[in-house]
Amino acid sequence: MRQFLLTVAAFATICLVLNTGYNKEWFRTKPSEYWADFWKEKNDTASADALKKERYGIMYSISLKVKEVVEKRKIADPVILFEPNSYYRDSLHIYPKFRAPEPAVFYYYTGLEGVWTNSRDVTRANYLVRISGKGVVLEEIRSPSQLQQILDRYKKYPPIL
Amino acid sequence: MPFLAFFLLLCCHLLAGYGVLQLFRLRLKTAYTITLSLLLGVALASFLPFLLQLFYIPITGLTVFGSLALTTLLLNIPTAIRTRKEGLATVLRGLRPGPLRVRPYEIPYWMVIGFLIFVSVWRCYYFPVTSRDALSGPEAIAEFAVREHTLINSFFNIDLWSTNNQFKSPFLIALQVIYKMAGFPFGQVWLSIVFICLTVFLYHALTEKLHPVLAATLLLLFTMAPEPYAYTFMILYDYSNMVYFFLGLYFLFRSGSAQPTAQATGSFYFAGLLLGIATYIRSETLILAFLFLPPMLLMQRHARYPFRNILVSDLLFFLPAMIGYLLPVTLYVNHYLPVHYPIGALINPQLQLPGLFRRYADIFTHLLTGRPSLNLWGYFFYLTAILFAAEAIFLRRFDRDARNWLYSIAILYLGLGFIGWLFPVMDLTDSTKRALFKMLPLALFYLANNQLLHRFSVAIARWEQSGPLRRARNAHATHDKPSGSPPPSNRPSAKGRRRK
Repeated sequence: MRQFLLTVAAFATICLVLNTGYNKEWFRTKPSEYWADFWKEKNDTASADALKKERYGIMYSISLKVKEVVEKRKIADPVILFEPNSYYRDSLHIYPKFRAPEPAVFYYYTGLEGVWTNSRDVTRANYLVRISGKGVVLEEIRSPSQLQQILDRYKKYPPIL
Repeated sequence: MPFLAFFLLLCCHLLAGYGVLQLFRLRLKTAYTITLSLLLGVALASFLPFLLQLFYIPITGLTVFGSLALTTLLLNIPTAIRTRKEGLATVLRGLRPGPLRVRPYEIPYWMVIGFLIFVSVWRCYYFPVTSRDALSGPEAIAEFAVREHTLINSFFNIDLWSTNNQFKSPFLIALQVIYKMAGFPFGQVWLSIVFICLTVFLYHALTEKLHPVLAATLLLLFTMAPEPYAYTFMILYDYSNMVYFFLGLYFLFRSGSAQPTAQATGSFYFAGLLLGIATYIRSETLILAFLFLPPMLLMQRHARYPFRNILVSDLLFFLPAMIGYLLPVTLYVNHYLPVHYPIGALINPQLQLPGLFRRYADIFTHLLTGRPSLNLWGYFFYLTAILFAAEAIFLRRFDRDARNWLYSIAILYLGLGFIGWLFPVMDLTDSTKRALFKMLPLALFYLANNQLLHRFSVAIARWEQSGPLRRARNAHATHDKPSGSPPPSNRPSAKGRRRK
């Protein structure tokens, strides 16, 4: 009987813990939500790449697209320049929803070398990923002077994570 | 196929860890033996690909799994010899779990904690690595190590100005390499082993101190701490560092509370090994480990150990931590990696005391209290603070074990503030926040030794046992009335009895 009463007390304590202030909010938005996701995910046959696309978001898809284009055009030593994230934040107002991957992460995504405007190797950049109202384009950088123009354009936007 | 590989890896971790555990001649409960063996096995596995790299041996399936199997075999030679001498039955007796006694009030807790574990394990298995600190360092290195058969791979040829994660411990890289090679595209599932083993270990350790209802409530609150829970399925260094650091202190305090026996000595050196593993995972743990030297010296002085013994045993105690620092930092980063990381250059050039106190204040106001703290730790630290204040006000004294855990909390707070002040790269909102994970199990074990909770625990245990005892007494009295024998004792069980 006393063990039964302790069991009731255990249930009551658990209910109290799970329904107290922030715990309630956390339990509803995290484990319960994850549990609901699990029921959708358990029968999912998505590949590892599809899961990465879902998890890493639009920039991962763009990175893969860049890789696809580079392979299609058979570019020998591609070095991809990304626009600074502060440009997306202050000019295009699409940050942080949209953010350029840092070179290390871009390499993880694609195996391609990426640089930011303040990178040590920025002078080797031969392609630019440019985002505008029309969409995303991969522009070839044909000369050092063109590269300098690009860098000047983004001078007032320091790279941020 | 990956699940068969996972099962084999699990066996490998268990056996290799068991081999290490046996070296310390600790007599432990089966639950402790299994969980600690697995945790030691995971730590040992994390060291092997790194060791292969130090000897410039290509990292392939054959070398990685071969070295794992070989290490497991070598570590179990003493057990095999013992088995030959004493017989298999004797050796297995030590591993046989006692009769499983499930009390009905434990079940609801197991269900909720089991649910939290299940969700975490699923996410660990199903989702790719997401944290930026892993993607821009260890995870990327591991991915290319699997393809290029070396930890020093093409990742180091690219522009890495925006990150310093490539210099962090090989612990994560090595485990990711092993699990990716075993067929898990995202690696990561080793973290679930660490999480489950810690949870099981904590439950058993807490029930040694408190009634299961109180122990499980505390464990539930601990598991529900939002930020550390997120890191049970998001690989990074801090959760694992917390686990081995806590276990190191647990066995250190255990060695201090026991009489000077082989068990206490074993616990002492085992604690040194665990702190060494914690240092291997996060190098700044070395500073924290050395901050435990004063109480160790006090304890040894109190026990009147000869100076020479103190010197030798303390050197041996800190040896694993020194190795855990020197190999991955001094040797590997400075002499193997193509890019170097001058740690000296990271030291704050303006070391002024107000900055140190500001850091302590920031940790307190931004991380431990206020609204952000709820998002990080739930109500766990508030509960700890309330019970600490209650114990200080109403009882005005602390149990020896409680004092140990309180000391470790204070050391951690002071140490992390100091490290953050010394190395500005260890920022407040990311690095220090995650380093504070370590405080959580320390606070949990302070609570387990809080005398108010202890009294409450004893009261529950007495109340629980007095029902059947009263019935037994009545039955006994009715049955034995003619003979007039005395009623059975009303003593609470050893578990419920207050510690002297």
